[in-house]
Amino acid sequence: MMRKLGHQKHYYLMLLPGMVWLVMFSIVPMFGILMAFQNYNPGAGLLQSQWVGLENFKYMFQLNDSKTVIVNTFIIAVGKIVLNLLIPLIFAILLNEIRSLRYKKLVQTVVYLPHFLSWVILSTIVIGIFGYYGVVNTVAGMFGFDPKLFMADSGIFRQLLIGTDVWKEFGYNSIIYLAALTGINLNLYEAAAIDGANRWQLIRHVTLPALTTTVVLLGVLSLGNVLNAGFDQVYNLYNPLVYSTGDILDTWVYRLGLQNLQYSLATAAGLFKSVISFVLIFISYRLAYRYADYTVF
Amino acid sequence: MKRNMAKLLSVAMLGLSVAACSSNSSSDDLKASSDPGTNSAAPALSGDDLAFSKFPKPVDVHIGMMVDPTDKTLPEGDSVSNNQYTRYLKDKYNINVIVDWTAATGNDFKQKVSLTIASGKLPDGMVVDDRSFMTKAASSGLLYDITDLFQQYQSSQVKDIMASTDGRALENASYKGKMVSIPNITVDTDGVHVLWIRKDWLDKLQLPVPKTVADIEKTAKAFMDSKLGGNKTIGIAGPSKNTYPYSTFLVSSNNMGGFDPIFGAMDAYPGYWLDNGDGSVTYGTTTDTTKKTLALLADWYKKGLIDPEVGTRDNVGDPINANQTGIFFGPWWNGGYGNGDSFKNDPTANWQAYPVYTDDSKWNAHMKTTGSTYTVISKNAKPDVVKAILIMNNALVRDEATFDLSVSVGWYPLRNVLAAANETEYEYAELLKVLKGETKPEDYNKPNSLYKLMYADAKKVQSVIKPPYEELNVGNFNTSNFGDFQRLYSILIGDRPFTTIPIDKKVFSVTYNQTPTMETKWANLKKMEDETVLKIILGQAPIDSFDKFVKDWKAQGGDEITAEVAGLLKK
Repeated sequence: MMRKLGHQKHYYLMLLPGMVWLVMFSIVPMFGILMAFQNYNPGAGLLQSQWVGLENFKYMFQLNDSKTVIVNTFIIAVGKIVLNLLIPLIFAILLNEIRSLRYKKLVQTVVYLPHFLSWVILSTIVIGIFGYYGVVNTVAGMFGFDPKLFMADSGIFRQLLIGTDVWKEFGYNSIIYLAALTGINLNLYEAAAIDGANRWQLIRHVTLPALTTTVVLLGVLSLGNVLNAGFDQVYNLYNPLVYSTGDILDTWVYRLGLQNLQYSLATAAGLFKSVISFVLIFISYRLAYRYADYTVF
Repeated sequence: MKRNMAKLLSVAMLGLSVAACSSNSSSDDLKASSDPGTNSAAPALSGDDLAFSKFPKPVDVHIGMMVDPTDKTLPEGDSVSNNQYTRYLKDKYNINVIVDWTAATGNDFKQKVSLTIASGKLPDGMVVDDRSFMTKAASSGLLYDITDLFQQYQSSQVKDIMASTDGRALENASYKGKMVSIPNITVDTDGVHVLWIRKDWLDKLQLPVPKTVADIEKTAKAFMDSKLGGNKTIGIAGPSKNTYPYSTFLVSSNNMGGFDPIFGAMDAYPGYWLDNGDGSVTYGTTTDTTKKTLALLADWYKKGLIDPEVGTRDNVGDPINANQTGIFFGPWWNGGYGNGDSFKNDPTANWQAYPVYTDDSKWNAHMKTTGSTYTVISKNAKPDVVKAILIMNNALVRDEATFDLSVSVGWYPLRNVLAAANETEYEYAELLKVLKGETKPEDYNKPNSLYKLMYADAKKVQSVIKPPYEELNVGNFNTSNFGDFQRLYSILIGDRPFTTIPIDKKVFSVTYNQTPTMETKWANLKKMEDETVLKIILGQAPIDSFDKFVKDWKAQGGDEITAEVAGLLKK
């Protein structure tokens, strides 16, 4: 045992920074959830603040907002999860069919790019594109449509969020599929081709079945994100006109806690989200084990 | 997932550090609040000698500071904690300024302050830009009670400026009867919003200056029809996604791009707590006149007169600076200071300021509170540090005009604006006298004047403005020193309405502060209000949804809060 440890010492050393990070930023802050059960007073601190039991949670659910933001969060997150699974899959398969290696590399590089830009920058671009005098309205204008203020339309704000997020991430998300695609035994294609399968049939009967495990795995694992609708994106794109469909748990917590100084209520809302997410993660790992034979521990 | 959890619990994280430090901060601070004269070298000093005394030993002052990331005026080699202002404080008063943290102006800074308060670990001094930060910190027992030290250490100038508000500034800076912050005092005209219009466009179309709401509608239409701002001419600019259609009792001034003058001309004062005169109060947003004004704005929007991107734009100044529009609303400094790029893009942009009148020719305006930033001092600060911060404040007021302002005064540590409430009006009148030769700049060379920038401005004014002085236009101004141009343009053109035309009806809010119930319920009500108002203006909700809003607003805490505000009247 000791010899084994000595042998692997450098691995543990490499693990250390990550562990320190985890303890500092994820384990230690856990004590802060006490705030959710207090009327938190920064001067008195966590230990001396007045305890109020579940008062903050009760009040949270009395607010009309809580229902709105939970529904919004759920719809936006599910939309993103589903499309972020499907679009990269389709893209990866299409890319895989391209023969020219150089062209393939080029496309890959180009579609990866937006992933590395932050929403602070992208939001300005998105607002520009969908603005009153933006590209979309200009093109629509050529076909005789009246210009439309997309960013202020609560009816399409969610679609806009989901769409732009998928646009930003689909290139990057396709990496895992592309990796899985290279792992498919070429003999299978050869055999199918000899049996007279055309291209479409190759995809349908060889590629897709080979990718099923990956899709299921990624789908199940993303279950834990069902309440993560993307703070950075929403915060940089929304405005009061689209609160009704665009306000999500994270932006709500931000406004409550950091702008309105209702620390306890914000913590309660955050804890609520964390607990639901935890349950979903637990379920997703069980499902991953069951259907994809995947275990973390 | 873990990463997301960490993000979520960032508030909670800081909470923990509180537990670590709260044990050592209870006993020795209480007695510190009122022991004058611990500064052993200055036993006999008083008045202004004390207010500008130099410490025998260096005093370290830790501060949190707001910085403007776009500011490029700091010379190379200088930094936020080593520049002409910190060196001045070191040389003259033996004060070492140590900057614990900086954050960019706007949301970044607010967020940092909010987290700092949540953690309970305040730097010795910081300037917060929202009263709720001050009251939250005070109610949590994090602030130093400066009541006595301020009395002792304020300079005569500071005293005069405080007095110019009739005690309103002191009240604003206090929590439960104790003075817990140094307030800023800004000029009254910051809260008086006027119509800004391109006079050169009016002249081109041979139109008169619009006086009433109906006139403005006609003028905006004429500007658009003639495409004076290019193909994408905007009739009337409006608020962005970060600004508001009208100023409110909590943010009662400096609302660039809002519709405040239009509401005023319709005798509506949304966002203000109105005294009904019979012991009851009404929240201005819930009135019929506000409803009528919203219907009018919705009509304008429908007709395309208001910026189609109102409420979603990134920056309120964009269409103004790009000279796409000829009409917007805002206080005195919005033309000049506020829209510098407009002049750079078009040197003939002759922005002029006028009131908007009711149909029976009355000028109604809502009025602001005394100030909205607060220098807060940690209760853990040593008495000498508190004195140092008070001296820093005195020194800035006395010496601001003598500094080399090519380095933005924003770099002054704990910069606090203290201006006599009528400073701009005084300067307007006196600068005109200087221009006309009735007085000389040297006449204003009075040390410790209440109007601290007057002498410096008087010396500049003749080189910036050319005659004739009767009707100042942009053509009268020399823009070679752009900073001087902006300041004098704002004073002499932007403040002209407020200085020369009496306001027929000045409306004050019953309170400019939050009541206890607001602390938990206001955020929700405000969100409802913002949403309803914008939706009505943009035609996304019918005007009748206003009635439902009023009903919901009352039911969800509005009535309770109204009663609390009415209670304030009885005092």
